[in-house]
Amino acid sequence: MSGDSPATPEEPRGADTELRRLKVRAKEMGQWALQMVHDGWEAFRTGNLVGAQNVLDSDTRLDRFDEEIEHEIITFLVLRQPAAGDLRTAAALLKISTHLDRIGRLGFDMARITTLEVLPDVPELSSVLRSMDLTVESIVQQSLDALVEDQPALALGLFVRDDEVDRMHREAMRLIVRELARDPNSARHLSNELLVARHFERIADNACKIGEKTIYAVTGQRRSEYLPRHPYTPYVLEKSAPE
Amino acid sequence: MANGKMRVEHLSAYYGNRRAIEDISLEFPKNEVSAIIGPSGCGKSTLVRCLNRLHETLPRTRVEGRILLDGEDILELDPIGVRRRVGMVFQRPNPFVTMSIYDNVSVSLRFNGRHSREEIDRAVIRSLQQAALWDEVKDRVDAPAMSLSGGQQQRLCIARALAAEPEVLLMDEPCSALDPVATAKIESLVAELKSEYTLVIVTHNMQQAGRVADNTAFLYLGKLVEVGPTEELFERPKERLTEQYITGRFG
Repeated sequence: MSGDSPATPEEPRGADTELRRLKVRAKEMGQWALQMVHDGWEAFRTGNLVGAQNVLDSDTRLDRFDEEIEHEIITFLVLRQPAAGDLRTAAALLKISTHLDRIGRLGFDMARITTLEVLPDVPELSSVLRSMDLTVESIVQQSLDALVEDQPALALGLFVRDDEVDRMHREAMRLIVRELARDPNSARHLSNELLVARHFERIADNACKIGEKTIYAVTGQRRSEYLPRHPYTPYVLEKSAPE
Repeated sequence: MANGKMRVEHLSAYYGNRRAIEDISLEFPKNEVSAIIGPSGCGKSTLVRCLNRLHETLPRTRVEGRILLDGEDILELDPIGVRRRVGMVFQRPNPFVTMSIYDNVSVSLRFNGRHSREEIDRAVIRSLQQAALWDEVKDRVDAPAMSLSGGQQQRLCIARALAAEPEVLLMDEPCSALDPVATAKIESLVAELKSEYTLVIVTHNMQQAGRVADNTAFLYLGKLVEVGPTEELFERPKERLTEQYITGRFG
């Protein structure tokens, strides 16, 4: 038995600082990805090919963010050999950077389908898609705040908001199907709008995944422990199914 | 932790008036590796020394509570018999310096005088094989034990402990004096030994506990803070103190 005096808990050491820095870095990546989504959507909506090209070009920086964060986390794992909360946070950040990359890529995909064609004037559909843009931007922002501030409660709120986006997605599908029946000549653009609605919906899903990882990092709880998965059914069997 | 080979109940251990272990209840499952971790001075070495009644060999020490081996309280049994059933390997390799490799392993069998030469030979070979040392020393078992490297000496001590055919093997920081290669050999040995023995390992090395132990107990200031499956304890400990210790916030 050692004769050393018993150790006592001390103030946080370097691991905290490194993890905090990594979270801030992830948030910066998130802001970049969000900007790509917003600009991608605007370019698509307005038929702005220059704006679309800017979004496509900004993907290189997104990739670099992903590589840098991955490199820093691997260095942290090797040098610190973390356990418990530190390990969970490092593992969560690795996944979160992948989700942020996917979010940015969905903005990229919107820019990619931008054409010079003018949108068919369907005010209801435009309104739903604009709402989706604003809502997913706010949801992703909330997921980043929850991550940086270690706020599982904030992260938990994302799941409710995701349902809201799912409803908008279904409404967009319903309107697009209706318009296709009315005006088959606008099929190409409407199908692109269908893709955009789908991209927004996926962005919200990725934000939820970020929330899930944040809750795991802070509390150690997996999603199945606090939010049992609700049973899914084919859309056609749901009340709010598109026509 | 069902199927406890060894169990301590409300165990307290004293050095004079100072209580080094306070009211610990803990189970060591059969054929599993249990790690004990905690900062210096937390009582982990004292705890394992109680498990084969070595603690009482020091002056002004005493033990309260019960230590059950297969349901029998070892505090009521003959200490020599207990140590035959509960072997121990220490922090630093401590072979008998004047003896050969062979004699180090056979010494416990020869002292109790109930074995033939052939039985002792077989036991020495078996023990050296179990300790993963046989292939390295089979051509020189009469060489002095001190001619072995540090890692080999530690495996020789494990062979010596195994020769007595214990049921439980206690290891008090068995790798702390060894280099990474020798450490890796001891760790893989631990994994192999658990099919035949119940192992309790004290370690300062958290990653080692993570690698070798099925269960881990965290001690702090003589008290048991938390015990559970190793993976669980290292991924999401229940107690804040455990979290602080394994993430290096203190210790």
